Amino acid sequence: MSGVNRSGDGGTLLEVENLAKHYPVRKGLIRAKQVGVVRAVDGVSFTLKRGETLALVGESGCGKSTTARLVLRLIEPSTGSVSFEGTDITKLGGATLKAFRRRAQIVFQDPYASLNPRLTVGQTIMEPMEVHNIGDAASRRARVEELLKLVGLAPYHAQRYAHEFSGGQRQRIGIARALAVEPDLVVCDEPVSALDVSIQAQVVNLLRDLQQRLGLSYLFIAHDLAVVKHVADRIAVMYLGRIVEVAEKRELFDNPRHPYTRALLAAIPHPDPARRGRVQPLGGDLPSPLNPPSGCRFHTRCPFTQQICKEKDPPLTDGVACHFAGQLPPAGLDFSGGLTEKAAQRMALYAAAAGGV
Amino acid sequence: MSQAAPGGGGQPLLQVQDLRTVFRTSGGDVTAVDGVSIEVEHGKTLGIVGESGCGKSVLSLSIMRLIAHPGRIASGRVLLEGRDLAGLSNNEMRKVRGRDIGMIFQEPMTSLNPVHTVGFQITEGIRVHEPKASKAELRERGIAALERVRIPSPERRFDEYPHQLSGGMRQRVMIAMALACSPRLLIADEPTTALDVTVQAQILDLLRDLQAETGMSIILITHDLGVIAEMADDVAVMYAGRVVERTTARALFEDPQHPYALGLLGSIPRLDEDRERLLAIQGTVPPPFALPPGCRFNPRCPFAIDACRAEVPLLREITAGHEAACLRAPVEESVAA
Repeated sequence: MSGVNRSGDGGTLLEVENLAKHYPVRKGLIRAKQVGVVRAVDGVSFTLKRGETLALVGESGCGKSTTARLVLRLIEPSTGSVSFEGTDITKLGGATLKAFRRRAQIVFQDPYASLNPRLTVGQTIMEPMEVHNIGDAASRRARVEELLKLVGLAPYHAQRYAHEFSGGQRQRIGIARALAVEPDLVVCDEPVSALDVSIQAQVVNLLRDLQQRLGLSYLFIAHDLAVVKHVADRIAVMYLGRIVEVAEKRELFDNPRHPYTRALLAAIPHPDPARRGRVQPLGGDLPSPLNPPSGCRFHTRCPFTQQICKEKDPPLTDGVACHFAGQLPPAGLDFSGGLTEKAAQRMALYAAAAGGV
Repeated sequence: MSQAAPGGGGQPLLQVQDLRTVFRTSGGDVTAVDGVSIEVEHGKTLGIVGESGCGKSVLSLSIMRLIAHPGRIASGRVLLEGRDLAGLSNNEMRKVRGRDIGMIFQEPMTSLNPVHTVGFQITEGIRVHEPKASKAELRERGIAALERVRIPSPERRFDEYPHQLSGGMRQRVMIAMALACSPRLLIADEPTTALDVTVQAQILDLLRDLQAETGMSIILITHDLGVIAEMADDVAVMYAGRVVERTTARALFEDPQHPYALGLLGSIPRLDEDRERLLAIQGTVPPPFALPPGCRFNPRCPFAIDACRAEVPLLREITAGHEAACLRAPVEESVAA
């Protein structure tokens, strides 16, 4: 029932090539004329291996959520292809498209808006199984119980409605619903950014556990690099509809090569007052995707801009899209520090007393 | 408007003493803020940390006396340089708001009025507090206020509407409005939560510069410990309506005492550390109408013992200037024993 080989790591599960989504902008009431194009996603390529987590990171308006929806074909791409196990899903229709949908699921950002208030939790989790004709009523009910336990809820929660749950619990329900049809790929669209800090940690831990147990592949959309550092294997940084840098997690944090990646990393305030004042804000605002800058899209805010940056658009080569990658001075970012001995000791006691949770 | 010299005599700018704010509901009274005491020093930043439902926003609204029916301040005092705000008439209180205490909110998108220009809104506070100011003077001061928050081409922005500005720009306008009458205290309620990280860095930078320029004090309310570490001098950690730990920002991170503070610190993923699992706090914040007896954190606390369920722990000094409301702090001594 569970698709083709679900064998841990290895092969490529998803291959995205030159994906783009352009929205025409029209003006006028009766004879609307196209006056421009919003390039929400503009030529994005990446791969995702089985059992891997690839994070798409960037600020609002960079196109990361649009990319996620394109990958699931919730919206149609303008150009480009999305291959899932070698099949281009942008060309699928009917039964084959439905078969793909069973294997690729999504967890949404807002746990308040993404659950139907008129369905019980049981009905919510059962719905995807009904859509895909999996099992009969009895086996579905059993599966709901199993899923609720899997995500850290109790079987009796199935009779309740979404409004009876807290944000973190709702996100667990959303995760259970995504897992109901045993997908291979789960797109997590900012799954923890609407949650409180202590609840974020619960959900992040849960997502990691589930990945290990079920061999899931995650496409993880986020704006918080600290969360991403915790969950991702590889990271792709997006700016104005393009990937500007993609690298293994460790590589990206140790040696960020694109000026925008550096700016993002430098903007994060560290939870350590001893290192106060090291945050370096990036100047300016994000330009409009309706009228992106010429050449390199980051040149209007980049501290290293040269003439060529304004004229020529640098392609993504060897994981970075910058004319001067490799020639820039060291990033000078310092992530050392960590907890004091006292704090670490007490946290160890906390973890031990909490039974390793 | 001349005030006592900053720090003179050691009296803090703002003292909140044993404040209780209660909301009447059909299910009985709900105490959103329960016996909170904090102090804000002249020119310093007090960070208030807590998650949703801990009462941090109700606390800031109580300081401003903006609690509307069915809520009310049941007891306690709010002293601004020794003057009890509770004793002021509504008219006198209106003079305090904006002029002595400015406030900015989380949502720069919804906190601005979409049908008025930026300039009209920025000068509103001046019009209220100084009705004699001329139109030309208002414009001049409004543009100067925009300049002060580093908004490019302020003359043009003065005549624009909020929808023409980006999120970061709008928060700058909010700050400009709050600072238009040069208040001595700025209450910033989650000022950067809705913003992107690079914009957040710009806004925090701006707040720090403005504080250095004006010598104002800031109450910074946030759930983000990174922002606290970056900005705060002193910290109060709130949980379920009470302050559970009160100390300097440095001491909170280097020597956290309350188990809730420990859990919060362990919950955040850090760039300077590789951990397999985050130290999540189990369970959720109890709703204010179903609070557990004793210490309100006890159902989620791994160190809870019977005494924690029986008595309410009061803030007590663990080390000099470092208070925690926990029977078991410091945990390494009580757990080992």
